[in-house]
Amino acid sequence: MKQLEATRTRVSLVPPVEPRPLPHRKAAWWRALAPYSFILPIVVFTLLLLAYPMLYSLTLSFRDATVDTFVSGDMPFNGFANYQQTLSTGTFWQALVNTIIFTFCSILFQFTIGFLLALFFQNRFPLKNVLIALLLVPWIAPVLTAAYTFKGLFNEVGPVNQLAHWFGIPGLPWLALPGFALAGTIVANIWIGFPFNFILLYSGICGIPQEIYEAARIDGAGYWRRVSYITLPILKPVTVAVLMLGTIYTVKVFDLVWIMTGGGPANTSHLLSTYAYQVGFSLLNFGQAAAIATVIVLLILSLNLFQLLLQRK
Amino acid sequence: MRNDLPLKHPMRKPHTMPPNHLLRKFPRCWKFFVCSSVAAVCLTTARSETTVEIVHYFTVPGQIQGLEDIQKDFEGANPDIKIKFTYIPFNELLSRTMQMAAVHKPPAISCIDNPDVRHVAKSGVLKDISASVAKFPTWQDTYPGPKASVTEGTKVYGVPIGSNSLALFYNKKMLTDAGVTDPPKTWDELKEVAAKLTKPPVYGLALSAPNDEQSTWQFEPFLWSNGGSLLDLTAAPAKEALQLWVDLLKSGSVSKDCVNWSQPEEGDQFIGGQAAMMVMGPWMLGQVHKSGIDFGVAPMPVPKEGMKPVVPLGGECWCVLKGDPKVEEASLKFIEFVQDSARLEKLCNTFNYISSVRSVAVKQGQANPELQPFVLQMDTARARPEEGGAFYTEVSLAARTAIQQAITGQATVDAALASAAAKIKTLAAKK
Repeated sequence: MKQLEATRTRVSLVPPVEPRPLPHRKAAWWRALAPYSFILPIVVFTLLLLAYPMLYSLTLSFRDATVDTFVSGDMPFNGFANYQQTLSTGTFWQALVNTIIFTFCSILFQFTIGFLLALFFQNRFPLKNVLIALLLVPWIAPVLTAAYTFKGLFNEVGPVNQLAHWFGIPGLPWLALPGFALAGTIVANIWIGFPFNFILLYSGICGIPQEIYEAARIDGAGYWRRVSYITLPILKPVTVAVLMLGTIYTVKVFDLVWIMTGGGPANTSHLLSTYAYQVGFSLLNFGQAAAIATVIVLLILSLNLFQLLLQRK
Repeated sequence: MRNDLPLKHPMRKPHTMPPNHLLRKFPRCWKFFVCSSVAAVCLTTARSETTVEIVHYFTVPGQIQGLEDIQKDFEGANPDIKIKFTYIPFNELLSRTMQMAAVHKPPAISCIDNPDVRHVAKSGVLKDISASVAKFPTWQDTYPGPKASVTEGTKVYGVPIGSNSLALFYNKKMLTDAGVTDPPKTWDELKEVAAKLTKPPVYGLALSAPNDEQSTWQFEPFLWSNGGSLLDLTAAPAKEALQLWVDLLKSGSVSKDCVNWSQPEEGDQFIGGQAAMMVMGPWMLGQVHKSGIDFGVAPMPVPKEGMKPVVPLGGECWCVLKGDPKVEEASLKFIEFVQDSARLEKLCNTFNYISSVRSVAVKQGQANPELQPFVLQMDTARARPEEGGAFYTEVSLAARTAIQQAITGQATVDAALASAAAKIKTLAAKK
C-alpha cells in the first residue's frame, strides 16, 4: 500500500484521492443487508401473489367450504373428504383421462407441425417473412374468436361437413358426438398452439451455424441425417423448454373447451380445469374445486418432472 | 383552539397569556362550541346520503335503460338515498355476493336468479323481508310460482323483478310455405310440423341443450306439462318427455348441435333462418323483432289436447342482504317504489319480462300479443327450486347429464334417466 501510494504521488497528474473513510459499523451492517434488500420486492411479490394463493387453495381443499360455511367463515377442516368425494366421481376420472389425452395429442401435433415448419423456413424463398408473420396469427388471435370459429366449422351444417359431403362422406355433428367432441377441441387447440412451437424452434434453428451443415454435407450426410444428427441435438435445450411450456399451457386450457362444448355432451369432454370450474362456481363447492385444482398442479409438476428425467437420460 | 384565539382576540397576543388562561377562558365560549357542534351534526345528518348498492348481471341495453330510468325516478323522489348499480358477470354474481357478505361489506341488494334465492338464503346472508312485503299491495296479487321461488316456510327472501319463461316462437312464412296453418299445440303436432318444416339446411325446431342449466330449463316445460318431476325421473312422464326430444333429434327435425347451443346461439339459428321454430323466452323478442322476421309466439305444446302447459320460471329477484339497518330500510324503500303498478309495468316492458304481479301481467298481455302466451302460462308456471329446494343446482346437474346422454345416443332413455335418478336419490339421502 505504502509503495503504491508513493508511486501514485510521484506519477499521478491528478490530485490524490482522499482515502475512503474506514468502514463504519453501520455501513457494514448495511453492506450485509443490501443484497437482501434487492431481492426483497421479488420475495414479497412471490409470497403475496404466488405462495399465499397456492397455500390458501391447498388448505381450502382440506376444508368443508361450500356456500353455507364460506359465508359464516368457519369452514371446518374435513381431512381428505374433498379428495375422497372427488376421486369417487366418474366425471373426475373422465376429466383426468381427457386432460391427459388432450395434452398429449395437442403437444404431439403442435410440436411436429411446428418443427416441420421451422425446418421448411430454414430455406430462403420470397415472402418468407410475410408468411412467418401470418403463421403467428393463430397464436395472436384471441382464444374466444378461435373457439367460436371452430364451433362454427364443426357445426352439423358447417364447412367441415360440407367439405366431407363433397368427398361423399356423411356429415357428423362433430362437437355433439361423445367421442368426437374432445377431438374437435384438440384440433382447435393444435391450431392455436402450433405457432408458438414453430417460432421458438425456428429461432433455435436460426442460431445453428451453417458451417456445421456444410461440414456434414462434405462428409456425405443426407438431409434427414443432418436433421437428426445436427439440428435435433443442438435444438435439445429449446425443445425441452418448448415442451415444458407447452405442457403447462395445455394442461390448464379452459376457455377453449368451455366455449366449444362446455364439457359436454354429458360431461364427456370435460378437462380438469372445466370440471373444477363447474364444481366451484356452478355447484359452489369451493373445497372440492380446490381439491381438483391441487390435482391439476400435481399433474403439471409430475409431467414436467417426467420431461426433465427424459432430458437427463 | 390555540389558533382560534388570536383571531377572536386580535389585540391579545397568545404568548402573553398564562398557560392556564385557556382553561379559564373556556366557560365563556362553551356555548359557541356546543352550538357549532350541534349545527355540524345536524348538517351532516341532513346531508348524509344512504347509498344502496345493487349488484346485478344485466347487459341487455333495454334492461340497463330500465334500471337507469327507475334510478332517476327513485332518486328524484328520495334525495337522501343514492342508488348505485354494480355490474358483475352472470357466473360470478353468487360467489361475489357471498364474498362481499363474508367480509361484512355486503351489497344492499343483489339481483339473484330465482332458482338460487333459497340456496343463498340458506347461508344466512339474506334478510327475511316477510313483514315488509306483506304490506305491499302487489304481493297479494303475485303469481304463486314466483312467490314460491323466494319463500321458505313463512320467510320471504326477495321480491321478483319480473318473470320469464318459455314458449314456442315460429316463423310465419316458413309455416305457410310448408302448408301449416297453425303452430303445433300438442306433442304429436309438434313432431309432425317440425318434420314438415325441416328442409336442409333449415331445421324444423331449435332447442338449447348445452352442458349447463339451460338444458334442464328447456326440458322442464316438456317434463312438467306431462306431469313429471325431476325428483322422479324413472316414472313414465319423464321417460315420455325425454323420448320426445330423442325422437325430434333422431328424425333430424332438431339439429344435433343443440347440445352445444346456449340460448343466444339458439336464437341466432332462428333469426338466421336456420330454424323454423324455437323454444325461447321473452327476452329474445327484441332481437327477433330487429331482425325483421315475420314471427309469432304460441304457448308451449302439451302432451295431449286439453292439457295445460307447465313452464319453469326465470327472472331475477331483488334480495336484501343483512347489514346496516339504515341501508336495509333504504333498500326496502327502493323495492316498494318499484312495486308501484305503473312503474312495474314500464320496467317489465323495457326488460321484456312478464310481471310477477297478475294485474300488471294481464295488462302487458293485452297490450302486446307476443307476450300473451307467456302471460297465459304464468298461472301454472312453477319455480324451479320447488324440486330439490336448495339442492336444485345438483338435481339439475344430474338431470342434464341424462338429457345429454340420451339425445347424443350415449345411453338409452331408460338407462340415462335411471342413473340420474340414482344420483338424485343419493343427494336426497345425504341431505
